[in-house]
Amino acid sequence: MRKPVWPPLARERVHFVGQPVAAVIAESAAAAADAAELVQIEYRDLAPVTTLADALREGAPQLHAEAPGNLAFDFESGDAAAAEAAFAKAAHVSRLTLRSQRLVGNPMEPRACAASHDAGTAIYTIYTPTQGVNGMRGALSALTNVPRERLRIVAQDVGGSFGIRSPAYPEHAVVMAAAKRLGRPVKWVGTRSEVFLGDNQGRALELTGELALDATGRILALRWDHVANLGAYATPFGAWVGTRNLTVTMGGVYRIPVLYGRARCVYTNTAPVSAYRGAGRPDIAFAIERLIEYAAAEHGLDPIEFRRRNFVPAEAMPYKTANGTVYDSGDFAAVMDDALARAGHAGFAARRAEAAARGKLRGIGVAAYLEAAGAGAAPKDQVRGRFGADGFLTVWTLTQSGGQGHETTFAEIVASGLGVPIERVRIRASDPEADLVGSGVGGSRSLAGCGSACRVLADRIVEQARPFAAEALEAAPEDLEYARGAFTIKGTGRAIGLFALAERLAGPTPHPLDALGEGTFGATFPNGCHVAEVEIDPDTGATRIVRYTAVDDIGTVVSPALARGQVHGGVVQGAGQVFGEQAIYAPDSGQLLTASFADYPMPRAGIIERFDVHPHPVPTGTNVLGAKGVGESGCSGSLPALANAVLDALRPLGIATLDLPFTPARLWEAIAAARGRALSRRAHAPQV
Amino acid sequence: MAKVAMTVNGKAVALELEDRTLLVDALRDALGLTGTHVGCDSTQCGCCTVHLDGRSVKSCSMLAPQADGRAILTIEGLAGIEGPGSGDALHPVQQAFTECHALQCGFCTPGMIMAAAGLLAENPAPTEEEIVHALEGNLCRCTGYVNIVSAVQRAAELMRG
Amino acid sequence: MRPLVYRRAASLAEAERLLAEHPAATLLAGGMTLIPTLKLRLARPSHVVDIARLAELRGIDGKDGRLTVGAATTHAEVAGAVAVRRAIPALAELAAGIGDPQVRNAGTLGGSVANNDPAADYPAAVLALDATIETNRRTIPAAEFLVGMFATALAPGEIVLRVGFAMPERAAYRKFAHPASGYAMAGVFVAEHRDGVRVAVTGAGPGAFRWREAEAALAKRFNAGSLAGLEPDASGLNADIHASAEYRANLAGVMARRAVAAIQ
Repeated sequence: MRKPVWPPLARERVHFVGQPVAAVIAESAAAAADAAELVQIEYRDLAPVTTLADALREGAPQLHAEAPGNLAFDFESGDAAAAEAAFAKAAHVSRLTLRSQRLVGNPMEPRACAASHDAGTAIYTIYTPTQGVNGMRGALSALTNVPRERLRIVAQDVGGSFGIRSPAYPEHAVVMAAAKRLGRPVKWVGTRSEVFLGDNQGRALELTGELALDATGRILALRWDHVANLGAYATPFGAWVGTRNLTVTMGGVYRIPVLYGRARCVYTNTAPVSAYRGAGRPDIAFAIERLIEYAAAEHGLDPIEFRRRNFVPAEAMPYKTANGTVYDSGDFAAVMDDALARAGHAGFAARRAEAAARGKLRGIGVAAYLEAAGAGAAPKDQVRGRFGADGFLTVWTLTQSGGQGHETTFAEIVASGLGVPIERVRIRASDPEADLVGSGVGGSRSLAGCGSACRVLADRIVEQARPFAAEALEAAPEDLEYARGAFTIKGTGRAIGLFALAERLAGPTPHPLDALGEGTFGATFPNGCHVAEVEIDPDTGATRIVRYTAVDDIGTVVSPALARGQVHGGVVQGAGQVFGEQAIYAPDSGQLLTASFADYPMPRAGIIERFDVHPHPVPTGTNVLGAKGVGESGCSGSLPALANAVLDALRPLGIATLDLPFTPARLWEAIAAARGRALSRRAHAPQV
Repeated sequence: MAKVAMTVNGKAVALELEDRTLLVDALRDALGLTGTHVGCDSTQCGCCTVHLDGRSVKSCSMLAPQADGRAILTIEGLAGIEGPGSGDALHPVQQAFTECHALQCGFCTPGMIMAAAGLLAENPAPTEEEIVHALEGNLCRCTGYVNIVSAVQRAAELMRG
Repeated sequence: MRPLVYRRAASLAEAERLLAEHPAATLLAGGMTLIPTLKLRLARPSHVVDIARLAELRGIDGKDGRLTVGAATTHAEVAGAVAVRRAIPALAELAAGIGDPQVRNAGTLGGSVANNDPAADYPAAVLALDATIETNRRTIPAAEFLVGMFATALAPGEIVLRVGFAMPERAAYRKFAHPASGYAMAGVFVAEHRDGVRVAVTGAGPGAFRWREAEAALAKRFNAGSLAGLEPDASGLNADIHASAEYRANLAGVMARRAVAAIQ
């Protein structure tokens, strides 16, 4: 991979609007801002490239000498020759290009960091929102060349992360350098404008799919050509999004004999792209389910039956896809049937007719999605349980909750594993001193990885406590049974509670019952079927999401309320992308034109009028909990379900495809044009 | 420098601040009331919502001197307002947010709760449509708003008793 | 925000004096536009003169077919005032749809009118309700007051005291809000007065304007059907990354029909 250096402050060339060029340190933010106005920089304008098309054009301005043609690399997965052969004998072929437009992640808490440097120990202490201290420590070490052991990262409450709080940023390095030079703590708190301009952005993918069918509507092959806009620099996850995450499940829930995917990653003068809720998986799920729907319409197939005919059947599990991914479990037909029944799919025609009588275009959209989760960069997941003098068991983890509720879920796992009240268990992430191994938050993996380690921890604690309990009860360890938080001598009433035992043993550090829970847990494949129903006002182009049904196989559910909350949030983030969010850079100046909440429409309350969420668990065997992950599945389901619903509503007008986002202006224009109105100028084209 | 005398969460405070100080910065930096958050710079997100003389306003879009002589209620003071001695108990809106899992990362939550409390003070039995309208000035990135709307309905029930 | 001096005027006379003494001073009422502008360092007044609490700018009064509203009246107060709801319910409804609750609790009628944002709601009402803007120096008819995008007839040192609206026979306002900002992508105020119909459009163009063609059509027959197929000429309307001029023209037509339908 051709990976240019990303300096914390721009040198010689500024590669994107929002790249830090100078830093002012002052006693107050106001004073620093006053001083920053005095910084004078002479810029010489160079021609920018902001889109994939611009960057790949012959003779396009070159961003980095290391990357001729602005190409970071060209990637492929699957069998190109087999795909060629399959397409040659296909009865039907459908081809569709889909764009997953560039987004701004916009956690509600703007990015921030504070650093101090201890000249005696040469240790930096850095307070910053992150998704896990280990990942941040590694990323910061790579950025600053400060050894990992001299980086103490503290993260407490994190105001939303969504992938973009995972990497290290230029501001971290600048604040660290300033703290060292000044010998005083230095803090930087970003504004929302800086979030828009300087945070890593999301999506920015163009996906072209080709589907080969036989005469009976069976899929023979699926071939993809992806182009990913990395932005000005390669983030640690940018290329991962544009390659691995797009191809690992490129066949979705379908049994497809031949798969092939090519992906090119391209540099442009825009904010660098990184993982954002789903990180390529919602994009490929969207592309697959749009292509399926499009092909069904093109070749006169019933889209539901078309899906059913091609699903990987439950009895084929574990199923190895044509490009080598192994789906361990899933019952896609049952999940879809469940969703269709709950969504009242059979009664839709009447609802469409009723809406038509009111002058509205009603559409229904189905999406059977599947995504890969659970993979983590670390070789295993560890958590440590420590018994404190305060009578609590504190469990230290490496996954930094940004609102997922690990404090609740992991405590439930440990408490139920030990049979003790949940109030006695406290979850703490990001122990600055921790020497634990494990991945942070990302890839919807926290429950499957860290949660499983918590389950293992409970068993370890019981086994570790057994000899001590035996001693306390003056019995042989094998004569003890453990239940409901206490060891009991079998056949007697003599017992000692775990916490009573811990109190008895208190004194030495570490506490004799302190234990490590660990394990290596495999990939999971959350899947589901979402059904969306929308109503478009053809006069204004405004869309109401009148009904939404999410049926998800997220494996075993530990905390139903939290899982439902994750689905709500993920689905609505997808709705934000489908109906309005987009980062637009001016092609001539490289300025971000949608750089505030006044120009970038965020979803607001009431966006989905009726919202039903139902788990349909098919537990996985790849981890001890059976959990598959739920953090990102909402986006993977809602992008295609909502897009399919809108295009279903528009299909009677002869509109077969349309680029996201479906803003009122774009929908009205499409409808007006389909009804024969001559339009002199169309709304801004989507930017990828 | 401006002298600002106001009541914050029932207590009289007197501050001397740069004239340009925003109310939210006075609350956070001068008074240490960091429950009021700053999520944007264009008066859109509502994270900084407080009550000014009983009505919700965005404290990032007001100079602190504008609040001179007036009464401010922040999230830190909300729990105490339902009656004397109730300072430890949650306000019904806070209670409802807890019951309904109406927050995830929690960053928007103080503003969301203050906006909801502002609505319920004026309209004790809002319809779902009225709740949605009343939350137009508050953004949340985590919850999809579903449980927030439920929590406001639940809070209305709790407050009606 | 750059350093500035804040002064709260104790009287109208003091406000006038402060403006006279400090030529780079600006007036502050609700601050819903001014404060964000200052935060982004897009304006550099030496002083801000707070007039939000001046008694001279308060009060709502309806008589002789006109409703007079003090400039410092907040949008929430206009929306809730019995006097407004009785005299011109459409005006109360318009105020209830401005921004969001927090903005309505701070933003003022006078501030909005003096700012003349091309996508603000009030300018449509000002035109359709044949308003007069009363300042500390004179009374200005709406058509002369609204000069252009963010521009008014106000001279330096001039302060809006109150706005007088003609009470229509019937009226309605409908807007299509911008999905991000909440401002009007197109908002149409339709008012039927004893002496004729006024239709004013905001949001769609570089400033609020009267749509004479729609007025003429409605004068013949006050019916949504009279506006069928009618749109303002798109050539003078706004086009930007959010929407084309033709879309805005269409919206103006749709909102006008909906406003008429609402009062039929």
